[in-house]
Amino acid sequence: MLNSARALKTAADAHLPKVLSAAGLVRSQGSFSLFCDHLILRPGQCVAITGPSGSGKSTLLALLALALEPDSGTLMLAGTETIPLWRTPDSLAALRSRSLGFVPQNGALLPYLTVQQNIGLPLAILGAPDPARVNAIAEQLGIAAILGRRPGAISVGQRQRAAIARALIHRPALILADEPTAAVHPAQADEILALLTAAADNGAAVLIATHDAARAEAGGFTLAPAQPEPHSRTRFAFP
Amino acid sequence: MRLAAWLALLDLRAERWLAACTILSLAAVLAPLLILAGLRAGVVEGLRDLLLQDPRTREITNAANRTYDAALLDRLRARADVAFLAPRTRTLAATLLLSAPDQPAIRVELIPTAPGDPLLNGAGIGPGQVILSAAAASRLHSPPGTVLQARLSRVQNGTRSSTEFPLTVAATAPASAIGRDAAFVPLTLAVQVEDYQDGGTAIDATPAPRQDYAGFRLYARRLEDVPALDAALRADGIEIVSRAGDVAGLLTVDRNLGLLFGLVAGLGGAGFLLSLGAGLWANVARKRVELAHLRFLGLSAAALRAVPVTQAVVLAGLGVIAAWAAAEGGAVVINRAFAGTLALTRPLCLLSPGLAAAAAAATLAGAALVALAAGSRAARVAPWEGISAP
Repeated sequence: MLNSARALKTAADAHLPKVLSAAGLVRSQGSFSLFCDHLILRPGQCVAITGPSGSGKSTLLALLALALEPDSGTLMLAGTETIPLWRTPDSLAALRSRSLGFVPQNGALLPYLTVQQNIGLPLAILGAPDPARVNAIAEQLGIAAILGRRPGAISVGQRQRAAIARALIHRPALILADEPTAAVHPAQADEILALLTAAADNGAAVLIATHDAARAEAGGFTLAPAQPEPHSRTRFAFP
Repeated sequence: MRLAAWLALLDLRAERWLAACTILSLAAVLAPLLILAGLRAGVVEGLRDLLLQDPRTREITNAANRTYDAALLDRLRARADVAFLAPRTRTLAATLLLSAPDQPAIRVELIPTAPGDPLLNGAGIGPGQVILSAAAASRLHSPPGTVLQARLSRVQNGTRSSTEFPLTVAATAPASAIGRDAAFVPLTLAVQVEDYQDGGTAIDATPAPRQDYAGFRLYARRLEDVPALDAALRADGIEIVSRAGDVAGLLTVDRNLGLLFGLVAGLGGAGFLLSLGAGLWANVARKRVELAHLRFLGLSAAALRAVPVTQAVVLAGLGVIAAWAAAEGGAVVINRAFAGTLALTRPLCLLSPGLAAAAAAATLAGAALVALAAGSRAARVAPWEGISAP
């Protein structure tokens, strides 16, 4: 899909339900503070948080991934207010497993599982294993041939694809990716961004953290740059 | 939980060499402990059994023929630490000539007995019956059921007279009971024989109740009672023969061996549990990131804890099996090398199913407990740690 077309779609889809909405999120670590005043993600949207390393991109991603507790603010994922769930970590974990797909940096996978088992793990955790879907998505991402191998025995690019497959396998409403293109060849980087925007075309909201703003923008992502403020503060503003 | 067990086993399989090292190091500490426990069960308990099995170890007899009041003997018999007491008649008046049909007569010593005699494994006899010592039974060629002819002679005022009466062999005493030619008889018969020697009436007359006896033979209830009983009797002025000295020595050896075993097993056991705990704790610490990764993907806290617990139980279980196999091998070598050197009724190193169950239960419980503690700690790790780049 062309970038202009995606932008149009984004505007036209404003009536769609919010996948993710955050207001007044604050997280302080040591002397560093991160602010995210306002964020709404709807199905089909692709947004890239950009900024240099150390600007707090990963921390924001962790907050949005329900993996780090914000100091204050509200955060809704797939219609559920998540802040109170921090008191019951198991329900938070259950919400993550249902509604979230996450592509870790460097495509971190569990080393003792095969690619096939890694990709199928979110379905296994949901109690709904589906080997046919694992095979289909591997086929689609071009990693069908390495399904039987362990992550240690495949290339970085293949690992990144496997991690994307694992993030998509259970059709989550929100897909987050931490520097998905940092460790791969430029040509592979564009392919990976294309795989993520394809997931958005299928109805997911996609949010990535990247230091390569130009590539993300060229790939069809709306940019949300980190805005450094005095006194070690970073503010993220979303369109 | 099935998912957790599946993940745990796949993880173990992926690191099977590391797992094998853990299992071997568990087995290396546990196997000597099992051998030690086996030795304790074999040697120490065997020695104890041997001593307890031989009632003569618990025997106390009068040292010389004296006059022991029947009431005194009754009081002794009533003591809690006395299992059995039979009065004896005068030694010189306690012999008989016995003969089987068409066999030469032999002189046997008469030993009064009563129901519950430890020397006879509790076999009792009635009037007109006799239990032969193994030696006497062999010389008389008289199995149980044989009717023997008993002959008793006396010289009174220069006149020699004798009497004869039949006795039926009721049983043969165990060879360990007494080595001499002897016959266990009811006390009544022994008294009748003594009376006859003293010029009394015919042998078949019912004797008058006795007020005193020339001696006694008693057995302590437990091995531990012998020294105290010995001391108590001597304190009462009764000259006795007992193996109190030997028993005290053996009891001391037993106690010290028990202490030695307890000390070594305690230190070894504590070391084993420590190394088990440290190993498993380190294992969970090493897998902290992976566990946090699983937590991030949505595994419940309980399922997350089940991962290291499953691994610990599998590792500990295989460790116990390996240790048991090694200990069995060691026990075979020990038992073969020492075969026949100690007259024990059981193997020197005895690895019993009970010991196996105890070792397995202690190891598995310890392993599960440590893994549960370590897993609970891992379950509290922020899920972000599992997926953030280092």
